[in-house]
Amino acid sequence: MQKDSKGFFSVNGKRQILIADDEFINREILGNLFEDKYDLIFAEDGKQAINKIEENKDTLSLVLLDIVMPVMDGFEVLKFIRTSPELAHIPVIVATSDRESEARSLHMGASDFISKPYPDAEIVLARVRKTIELNEDRRIISATERDRLTGLYNIHYFNRYAVQLDHFHKDTEMDAALIDIYHFHMINERFGAAYGNEVLKTVAACLKAIVTEKGGMVCRSGADTFLMYLPHQDDYKSILKTAEDSLSGEVFRDNKIRLRIGIYENVDRNLDVAARFDRARTAANKLRGSFSNNIGFYDVSLYEKELFEEQLIDDFPTALKDNQFKVFFQPKYNIKGENPVLSSAEALVRWSHPKYGMVSPGVFIPLFESNGLIEQLDKYVWNQTAHLIAEWEKKYGVIVPVSVNISRIDFYNPSLVDELVAICNSNGLKAKDLFLEITESAYSEDSKSIIETLDRLREYGFRIEMDDFGSGYSSLNMISSLPIDVLKLDMAFIRSAFKDKKDLRLLEIMIDIAKYLHVPTVAEGVETGEQYLALKAIGCDIIQGYYFSKPLPAEEFEEHIKRYLNNL
Amino acid sequence: MLSINALKEFGANVEEGLARCLNDEDFYLKLVKKAADSTDFDLLKTAVEQKDYKTAFETAHSIKGVFGNLSVTPIYEPTAQITELLRADTDTDYTELLGSIIKNGNKLKELCK
Repeated sequence: MQKDSKGFFSVNGKRQILIADDEFINREILGNLFEDKYDLIFAEDGKQAINKIEENKDTLSLVLLDIVMPVMDGFEVLKFIRTSPELAHIPVIVATSDRESEARSLHMGASDFISKPYPDAEIVLARVRKTIELNEDRRIISATERDRLTGLYNIHYFNRYAVQLDHFHKDTEMDAALIDIYHFHMINERFGAAYGNEVLKTVAACLKAIVTEKGGMVCRSGADTFLMYLPHQDDYKSILKTAEDSLSGEVFRDNKIRLRIGIYENVDRNLDVAARFDRARTAANKLRGSFSNNIGFYDVSLYEKELFEEQLIDDFPTALKDNQFKVFFQPKYNIKGENPVLSSAEALVRWSHPKYGMVSPGVFIPLFESNGLIEQLDKYVWNQTAHLIAEWEKKYGVIVPVSVNISRIDFYNPSLVDELVAICNSNGLKAKDLFLEITESAYSEDSKSIIETLDRLREYGFRIEMDDFGSGYSSLNMISSLPIDVLKLDMAFIRSAFKDKKDLRLLEIMIDIAKYLHVPTVAEGVETGEQYLALKAIGCDIIQGYYFSKPLPAEEFEEHIKRYLNNL
Repeated sequence: MLSINALKEFGANVEEGLARCLNDEDFYLKLVKKAADSTDFDLLKTAVEQKDYKTAFETAHSIKGVFGNLSVTPIYEPTAQITELLRADTDTDYTELLGSIIKNGNKLKELCK
């Protein structure tokens, strides 16, 4: 706000002063003094003064108020101005001849006084000018530091004052809390913006009262978000209840308005203020979608996990460029005959991180799936795998097919089929040499377009393996129409089938389904001889798991190829 | 006709009064004349005699205020004294103070003619 902006001026471009004095002579003297520089209005008693102040509340820069007046005296006028929210911003200078009234009027909120008989004209002029200046400066600061709707600090000043608060309370444990309103946009939509504003103002007033009592501060940081910085509290439940209870009653038409709060307790003062409230926000975001819980606390380990993930995302491009991702191979053995025979392998990616060592795929795969980086990683694995299959063919004269993973996001790539074909071609492979694993859950999302793509891939000769069968939601009705060449049983089924009391019935049913579909079954996660024999007995075709081998680097996997050749 | 010199001779602190009027002599004289014409000094006397100290105080206070700002000392000073006594509801003999207020008030009214 500019200091000389509208609002500080009356209509004729001068600041406006009200002179309230019952004596004509006094009004004349003061009028003569101020008329060049100010726009003047006059009142002859207290009642008149109040009327004129209310009429001119938006333009009035100052009231010069006589104390002893008929009808209503200056003290009453002063009290009225100070207790009326619409007028309280107008500064008052009191004119009085006795000491006692000087002190009393200052206590009652007068900005200054001038004694009677009036001092030197210059002094009267200067006091009026200074009072107006100070008041305007104060209003500018107030308008700048505060949110217009709620009157709370805005975020910028809040951050600054929080630093000051820290400075003066070095040993106090502080909490950063973020409060917001459930579905506030819906409240606005359903009941109108005026209603929404009333909600915000009420919450603001209530939070202000709370922090005033607790010795903290509060600001509005966004549409329906409030930040509180306050000494550590043990009972946020009752704080939240107080705030929610303030939103009851007729004005709110008995609508149940819910708040939620995220708290970062005992803040680390090495973090800047904004970062402390980022943590409070993280705590609040944990509550998203939960109606049963509306208080969330920040968990430092959560933060460390996020930080680690951010680091992995940052490191991803370099890792790809520097071949930090290693493709491992876990052999699959056909167990139909008398002796198990190597039939193929599954390509599994590992990350040899220069700083963290081997990073578990359980950490980075879900992360890259969620942000889409998996697409690049998948391509990397396809290329590496195809290259190795071709190399082994050259070296050993046999093709060992390897299955690679196709993530759900890969299906959004319109040239997926062409790219896979190109990878095979450039390595001198046929499509049947590269198996494609698609998880069952991928089929259930946008299944029509995925099925179309899979049909095209099969036309080229690729074999499609449905991965994690049994973990998704395929209906038995639809499964017969899916383009599948192999069913791969979810590892969890193998585990539970052999857990405690052996119960293979579900496995048998799934193997029956595979037979009905005329496709072979692969069981993964097979770890023991007992499991191997049982699966063989119920007709499982192929087995993958630690029973035969853990996933191996390419050169170690070659030992399995050599053994296969020796046994021919 | 009221003049600056006449007011000086009367005992007014003309310089001070003029300063409040930004040294505009005509304006100052106009205000003094207006104050003299519109003030009923007898009102104060009646109120005191009737021991209506509230009215007496208000009247004295306003006379004090006006003539103080105009620096008409011969009226301002006794009025200031009587105002303080009346503010405290002092039951005393006001004859002398009232006498000098009325005497000087009438003298000023004469000067204004």
